[in-house]
Amino acid sequence: MKIMKKFSICLGSLLIGSLLSMQAVAGNNKKYSNLLSGLGLEYEVNAGTSIGGASPLPLPAEIRHIDSYNPKLNLQLGATVTKWLDPDKVWGAAIGVRVESRGMETKARVKNYGMEILDNQKKLSGRWTGRVHTKYQSQQLVFPITAVFRAHPRLKINLGPYLAYAFSNDFDGYVYDGYLREGNPTGDKYIFEDDSKASYDFGSELRHFQWGMQAGVAWTAYRHLLVNANLTWGCNDIFKSSFKTVSFNLYPIYLNVGFGYLF
Amino acid sequence: MKPIYRIFLMCLIAIGAVGCIQEEPLNAECDIIAVTLPGNVLNRAPRIDNDKVVLIVKNDVSLLALAPEFELTPGATISPASGTTLNFIFPQTYTVTSEDGKWSKRYTVEVQRNNTISLDYGFEHVRQISALGGACHYDEFYETGTAGNETLVWATANSAFAMTLQGSTPNTFPTYQGDGGVNGKCAVLVTRGTGSFGARVGKPIAAGSLFIGNFDGTNALKNPLQATHFGTPFYNIPSTLSGYYKYIPGDTYCEADANGNFLPVPGKEDMFNIYAVLFESVPGMEWLDGTNVLAADNPNIIATAEIPDRHASDDWVNFTVPFKFRDGKTIDPDKLAAGNYSITVVMSSSQDGDFFCGAIGSTLCVDELLITCLTDN
Repeated sequence: MKIMKKFSICLGSLLIGSLLSMQAVAGNNKKYSNLLSGLGLEYEVNAGTSIGGASPLPLPAEIRHIDSYNPKLNLQLGATVTKWLDPDKVWGAAIGVRVESRGMETKARVKNYGMEILDNQKKLSGRWTGRVHTKYQSQQLVFPITAVFRAHPRLKINLGPYLAYAFSNDFDGYVYDGYLREGNPTGDKYIFEDDSKASYDFGSELRHFQWGMQAGVAWTAYRHLLVNANLTWGCNDIFKSSFKTVSFNLYPIYLNVGFGYLF
Repeated sequence: MKPIYRIFLMCLIAIGAVGCIQEEPLNAECDIIAVTLPGNVLNRAPRIDNDKVVLIVKNDVSLLALAPEFELTPGATISPASGTTLNFIFPQTYTVTSEDGKWSKRYTVEVQRNNTISLDYGFEHVRQISALGGACHYDEFYETGTAGNETLVWATANSAFAMTLQGSTPNTFPTYQGDGGVNGKCAVLVTRGTGSFGARVGKPIAAGSLFIGNFDGTNALKNPLQATHFGTPFYNIPSTLSGYYKYIPGDTYCEADANGNFLPVPGKEDMFNIYAVLFESVPGMEWLDGTNVLAADNPNIIATAEIPDRHASDDWVNFTVPFKFRDGKTIDPDKLAAGNYSITVVMSSSQDGDFFCGAIGSTLCVDELLITCLTDN
C-alpha cells in the first residue's frame, strides 16, 4: 500500500513536470518539428489512466458470481518515438516506454476453487467454496513495439507486441463465508463463517516478465495534442507457470485512455 | 476506418467472453451428510466424520442385518447402494463417488451396541495422524480391552490445530504422548499459540485437551465451544475418578479483549482442569459441549467428579475424587441398562482455554486415570 502511494505521488509529479516541459518546449517548437520531421521521426510524451483487470479467459466455471469489481485508479506515463517509413507518413514503426500501474480489486463467489494459505513455512491448501476477496496491484515498465498506420490525416492506428517488466507485484486477499476442503474435495472440511477469514498472498508467485499485444488509436485533436486509446492484452499468465494453486490462467487486459503531446 | 471497427468488434467479443458466468460445475464433493436406520433402533444420533460413520444402536438390536440409508452430497452416489442390507458384526466399507465422477471417498461404517468402554487409562497407545498432505503429524490416543480390541478413541483438538500451520511433529501439537509417566508413557497437554492464522480468526491460543467424546473439526472455527462433543454411552454407576497429574503453568496469562487482542493479565496464573461428568443423553442434548458441560443449571447432569484443590506441581500428584450426585438426581436402572446415560472425562491444560484465555506454555501431564464403579451393577 505504501509503495502504491509513493508511486502515485511520483507519477503525479512526473505528470506535472512533463506538462511544464511541454510548455517550455512549445516556445521554439517549429524549429524542432522541422528538424524531426526531416528525419521522419516523431516524438510524443503521453499520460493517461487505464481500466481493466487480470482476468481468466473465459471466466472458469469455478467462479460463480462477481460480487464487486473495482478497477482502481491506474496511472501511466510514457514516451513514444515513431519513425515514418514513407514520405507521406502513412506507414511507420514506433517504440515506446511507459511506467504503468495495473490494479484491480474484486469480490467473487466461487465453487471448488484452488486456494492456499501460507504461514510458518507451511501451507494449508485445498479447495475453497465461498467468497474470495482479491487485490491485484502491479507496477510495470512497458516497452511497446508497434506498427503505425495513418488511416486519416488526424488518426493513427497502432498494433504490435509489448514487453513488460513488473518491478512491484502484489496479489493478495482473503477468503470468507464458506468452507475449505483440505487438500482436495475429499479432504477435511473447515467452515469459515462470521468473522473468520483466512488471508492469502500470492504476490511472490507473480511473474516479472510479461508480454502481450497492444492495439490503439491516436486522434490528433489539435496540432500537438493527441487523444490516445490503447488496448493492451497480456499473452502470458500473470503467475509463474510453476504456481498451480490458481488452476486457471489470468491475463492482464487493460484499456488505457490518455493524452499525448506531439513535438 | 474499417480496421478500427474490427478492433472494437474484437474488443466487444472479448468483453462478452470475459463477462459470461459459465454453467455451474458438477459437485466435486462426496460426503455422507446424514444416515438413518429404518425403525427406532438408534440409541444416539449417528456420528459422521469425514471418512467414518459410527451408529450406536439399542441393546436389543441385531447387527446381523441392518440396512442404513444415506443422504449424500447432491448428485453423489454410494456403493453398496443406500438401503442395502448388510451384516454389521464387523464394520462395513462404503464408497461415495462425487457427481462429477472425479472424486471418491471410502467410509467405514461401524455399528456399536452395548459397547462397554474400558475404565482405566494408561495412555500407552497412540497412532500418528498425518495432516496437511503429510506436512505434520499428531498423536491420537486409544485404549484397548483385554482382548487387544480397541475400546475407546480419545478426542483432541489436534486436527484443528493442524490447520493453524503451527504444528510439525506430534510434540509440537497441543496434545501428545510423552515419556516419564507414572507407568510407561503419559498424556501431555500444552497450551499453544496459534500463530497469525489463529490470531486472524480470533483464536489466539489452543489449550491442550483430551476428552471422551468426539471433536467436530468442521465447525471448530465457527463455534469452538460447540465443537467438543462430550460423552459416550455408559452402563455402570461410577463412584470415583482417580489418577496422577503434573502441572506447570505458562509464564504469562492472557485474555482476549473485546477487540480480539490477546493481552496479559498481571498477577493471574493459569490452572488446568480434569473432571468427569455422568449425564443423561436426551433428544436435543445427546452430548454435552463447552457451553454446558459443567453448567449448574444443566438438568441432564447426574453426577460430576471434580478435583477441588488443583495446584501446580513438578512431581506427580495422586488424586481420588468421588462422583458427587447433583441434588435430586439418581440413576434409573432401566435407563442405565438401555444405555441412556453417557460419561465423559475432560482434561485441559488451561481451564478457560475454550474461551481462549490462558498462558501459552502451560503444561499438564496425566497418567493412570481410573474410573471406579459400584460393583453391584
